[in-house]
Amino acid sequence: MIELTTPLSAEAIGKLAVGDIVSISGFIYCGRDAVLPRICREIEEGVWKKRGIDLEGGVIFHTAVSPAGVGPTSSNKLEIEGSFKTLSEAGVRMHLGKGAIKPETVGMLRDNNSVFAIIPPVTALLENQTLERECVAWPELGMEALYRIKVKNYQAIIAAAQGRSIYE
Amino acid sequence: MQPHKEGAYMNRIIDKVADCLVQAGSSFREDQKAAYRRAIASENSGRSCWVMRQVLDNALVAEERRSPLCDDTGIPHLFLEVGGNHQVSGELLQQIREGVVEGLRRLPGRPMAIKGNDYERIDQSGGLDEDSGALAPSPILIKPVDEDALRLTVLMLGGGPAIRGITQRVFHKHSVDVVVDEIVNRAIPAVSQLGCSPCTLAVGIGRSQFEATSLMMEAMAYGDYNVQSDLESKITAKVNEANIGALGLGGSHSVLATFAKVGPQRASGVRIVAIRPCCCFEPRRATVNL
Repeated sequence: MIELTTPLSAEAIGKLAVGDIVSISGFIYCGRDAVLPRICREIEEGVWKKRGIDLEGGVIFHTAVSPAGVGPTSSNKLEIEGSFKTLSEAGVRMHLGKGAIKPETVGMLRDNNSVFAIIPPVTALLENQTLERECVAWPELGMEALYRIKVKNYQAIIAAAQGRSIYE
Repeated sequence: MQPHKEGAYMNRIIDKVADCLVQAGSSFREDQKAAYRRAIASENSGRSCWVMRQVLDNALVAEERRSPLCDDTGIPHLFLEVGGNHQVSGELLQQIREGVVEGLRRLPGRPMAIKGNDYERIDQSGGLDEDSGALAPSPILIKPVDEDALRLTVLMLGGGPAIRGITQRVFHKHSVDVVVDEIVNRAIPAVSQLGCSPCTLAVGIGRSQFEATSLMMEAMAYGDYNVQSDLESKITAKVNEANIGALGLGGSHSVLATFAKVGPQRASGVRIVAIRPCCCFEPRRATVNL
C-alpha cells in the first residue's frame, strides 16, 4: 500500500505504476457530469483563478456528494472523461473514479504526469473515512456541485499511469 | 374493519414499507453474503479479491448502521404479490407510496428527483429536489399468487445497470443454445462496461418488451444465489469465461449468479430478452408481508 497525501507532488505521481494500491489522505475535490464541464470552461476562458481554488497536485473524485454519501460514477461518461485533459493541464494529478478509459486518454495522462485510479463503490466504508465536506462552487447543482472533502485512507488502485492501462 | 383500526393498519403499512426500503438499500441477504465468500475463496486474481473483500466489508458496515450500500441509492421498484383472499385498494397503494417516501428519507436516499416540466426533466435544467422522499417510485408490478399472502418486495435499482441493460429480440432458430449464446454475447460487453462488477445478471424472456422486462423484475425479486437452474448456471459460466473480474480488473468472477425467468412464449421465431447487469450490490431488495 502506497500512502499519498494531497496535494500530490509530481515526484510521487511519477513513481506510480498500474496495479499499485494507494491510500489517499487530505483534501480532494468531488465533481461529475454536471460540474466538470463548467470548471473546464472557466479554465479555458481564463477566469477559473478568480475562484481561488488551486488545482495543483489535486485529486478529482468523480462522485456526487449527498446525504447518502459518496461513491464513484463511471469516469468514461462523455462529460467526465472529456474533462481529464483540461484538468490535468491545470494541475490535477489524479482522476479518481471507475471504468475503462480510452487509450488516447491514457496517453494524455502520461504527457501531463497525471494518473487515473479506480476506487471501489464502497459508500459505507468511505463514510467512515470522509472527515469534512464543503460545497465550494455552483451550489445550485445540489449533489452535483463542486465539493471539497477531507479524506483519510481512501483505498484505490492505479488504473492508468506512465502510458499503461490496467485494462490492456 | 372499524375506522380507527383501519387507520392503525394503514400506519403500520407505511412503517413496514419504509423499513423494507431501508433494508433493501442497506443490507445483503445471507445468500448474497455466501456468494461473495465463495467467490473470494475461489478467485485467483488478487485485484479482484481486494475489490470483493471491500464490497463484502462495505455491506457488513452498511447493514450494521442501516446506511446506504452505495451512494447511488437507486430508484424504488415495487413488486406486489396478492393472494386470492386479499384486496388491493387505491388506499393501500397510497399507503405503500407514503411508505416509500418515508423510507427514502430514513435511508437516506440520494436526493435525485429532477424538477420541472417535460423538457426540464429531460435536460435536467429544472434542478434537483433536495428532499430524498421526492423521488417517485417506478410503476408498481402486481402479481396474483396461490398463497394467503399480501407481500411487497422493494428493489432499489441503480443507474449504472440501467445504462447497460438491454431489451431486444432474439431469433431463436428453435434452439435454446442460440438464445443463451445471444444473452452471453450481449452480457459480456455490458458487464465489462458497467464498472461495478461482479454482477448478477437478471434475465427475462417473454413475448413483448413489457413482458420481458416484467419477467426480469420477477427474476430479481425471487432470485437466490444458492439455487441456480441449469440455464442460469450455463449463462454465468459462459460470461465468466470472459475474465472481466471485479471492477473489470480481471478474474474469474465477473458474474456471481444469473437470475432468469422464462415466461410464456409466442408461436414465432422470435423471443424478447431483457438483460440487466445488476451491479455488485444488486439486486438490492427486501420483502415484507403487509
